[in-house]
Amino acid sequence: MKIFIDPPNSLILYDLVERFGHEPLSTMGALREKVNTLEMDSPPLNITHEDVQKGLKYAGIEVPSGIRGRLAVFGPLVDEAEAAIIMEDPPYAFGCVGCHRTTLMLKYLIRKRNIPLLEVKYPTSEDEARTMVGKIKEFLEGLS
Amino acid sequence: MSEETETRLIVVAPDSEITPDHVTRFIHALELPITVKETCYGAIIEGKRELVRKALQEVRKLDPNRICSKIRGFPMGDMRRCRAHHGSRPGFPQLEKEWELLPLIAEGLRSAERGEKIEEPERKVKLPVKELKKIVEEVSQ
Repeated sequence: MKIFIDPPNSLILYDLVERFGHEPLSTMGALREKVNTLEMDSPPLNITHEDVQKGLKYAGIEVPSGIRGRLAVFGPLVDEAEAAIIMEDPPYAFGCVGCHRTTLMLKYLIRKRNIPLLEVKYPTSEDEARTMVGKIKEFLEGLS
Repeated sequence: MSEETETRLIVVAPDSEITPDHVTRFIHALELPITVKETCYGAIIEGKRELVRKALQEVRKLDPNRICSKIRGFPMGDMRRCRAHHGSRPGFPQLEKEWELLPLIAEGLRSAERGEKIEEPERKVKLPVKELKKIVEEVSQ
């Protein structure tokens, strides 16, 4: 099954989802198509007018363009997802996951879809890590 | 670059006895037609998707719970990201943070393998203001 992960560029979630036999939907996968396309629309990252319009599907015109831009990448992944895992309180906020408003909108979009959803917290100790991995394993095994 | 090509990061946990050099040499020894580059956290591999997956499957056997992997959007040596060409590395701080956490995840995976019962541990919470005031009053008396 296709599992959306949040934060969408998380190594831990990507690895765990794949390890337990599912397909993770991540930023890296979505951006890969953009940066590897040979079109010369808007080098170096090939952001086109269509991408801008895609963002409008997920957030209104009054929403800052940065949020709409991010949602233009994350939104289609949420639409495609058959289940999702959200890891709350990650201590890093760099690059594409650096915008808190986008994260809030993204979580709203995921919850609105009513797909199987697991919410875990970023572990800070061995006990918390055991619980997190155990919950993810149970959730993913229950899906298939 | 064709759709079938995949670039992957192979990340070795800091407490693993396997080194990035070991990982790279091991992948080279598989003699698969893929490109391998040693990095500070493990290796980057690139090639046809099925070959990359095969290499990953084999390399994971070295230390199953402490070798993790994810795909990478940009191809290997891409001018926009390559350090040699002064490319930006926006994803690295996040990768570094999660790399530090991999020993905990490995413990979690071992626990899941043993089939241990999931128990929600008590999380540390911030000290409530009332408690703090109480402590201050007690100390100042």
